[in-house]
Amino acid sequence: MYALHKLLWELRRDPALAERFRVDPDGVLSCYELEPQDRAAIRAGDFRALYCRGANPYLLYFCALQIGVSRQDYYAQLREGA
Amino acid sequence: MAQLTGVLATAHSPGLTGFPERADPVRRARVMAGFAEAAGRIRSLRPDAIVAVSVEHFTNFFLANLPAFAVATGERHLGPVTEEMAAFLGIPQRHYPGDRVLGTHIYRYALAHDFDPSLADGGFDFDENFCVPLELLGAADVPVVPIVVNGVNPPYPTARRCYAFGRMLRDAIEAAETADSVVVLATGGLSHWVGMPQAGTIDEAFDRDFLARLEAGDAAWLTDYDDDQIEAAGNGAHEIRTWLVAAGAAGVPFEILAYQPTPEWLTGTAVAAARMPEPAAAPGGPRTSDAAPR
Repeated sequence: MYALHKLLWELRRDPALAERFRVDPDGVLSCYELEPQDRAAIRAGDFRALYCRGANPYLLYFCALQIGVSRQDYYAQLREGA
Repeated sequence: MAQLTGVLATAHSPGLTGFPERADPVRRARVMAGFAEAAGRIRSLRPDAIVAVSVEHFTNFFLANLPAFAVATGERHLGPVTEEMAAFLGIPQRHYPGDRVLGTHIYRYALAHDFDPSLADGGFDFDENFCVPLELLGAADVPVVPIVVNGVNPPYPTARRCYAFGRMLRDAIEAAETADSVVVLATGGLSHWVGMPQAGTIDEAFDRDFLARLEAGDAAWLTDYDDDQIEAAGNGAHEIRTWLVAAGAAGVPFEILAYQPTPEWLTGTAVAAARMPEPAAAPGGPRTSDAAPR
């Protein structure tokens, strides 16, 4: 979970990294030692899965906004099936 | 010696400055009236410094090194941290003056009195935590000592420890020799959820119960919370730990200046001030016109 949190935090703090992630997500993800489930979920933009796996909601939400997910879409996704 | 002349606590919801118009007009007016009242009180206390106690939302700290408590002693603090956040909050970026001398004194005093906060000796930036209340209270030019309580990632410092930290903080302020009037300002809360499916929900019963404890000023009742009880009012509700620091510093009952459940701002939005006893006349002479010789 630390590697995922580190990714989420760094994506939020570094606009250049967030931009690279949009263009080349696999290239960015390969720099982090993510659990396979975490990697698949972030690659698919599945914030609900990451939330259910116990990711810190602040880090998750801020990262989503930084990589271009709208507030509405983020919360709509989290509420699916809730 | 310095005097702790005022202790206040307010919300720091981004909506207060970023999108105030979204809230119900009556609720908005009542909250803003509370802030205006608090602003007037702070102004009348003519503080040399504000010790501002809040959480920080992963703006500076991360899980690689996450302090339970931290004291920021820098000479100035950038806020809001990015232009993007400045636009979101509707607050222009600036440098807020820090009170390095008082901050360093508080840090040293804490260590000497069995508290072990982290030191942030510079490079400490603000998010809504400090920018929103300092702007709304017209206090952005008062030198500030930011103190951070972890309210963003479990486990948290206990309610008891937060209250005790506040008591230590009062003693530290009263032992300071470089200021006359110091105000403590806690920011955050009350119930709210951030990044969770419940975002926009307000737990009014939790909020009103907390405010009743604050009005009673009963330390045992105020600190009778475990993590689960607070978490039940949202991950953002852990920010009441900053209010508990303020309550410990004040040691007296509070007056609630405003409380409105405000879903559009995503928080139970409150403003409160401690009912501080009248200050004793300063050794150097009377402080108020009432006490002037006739």
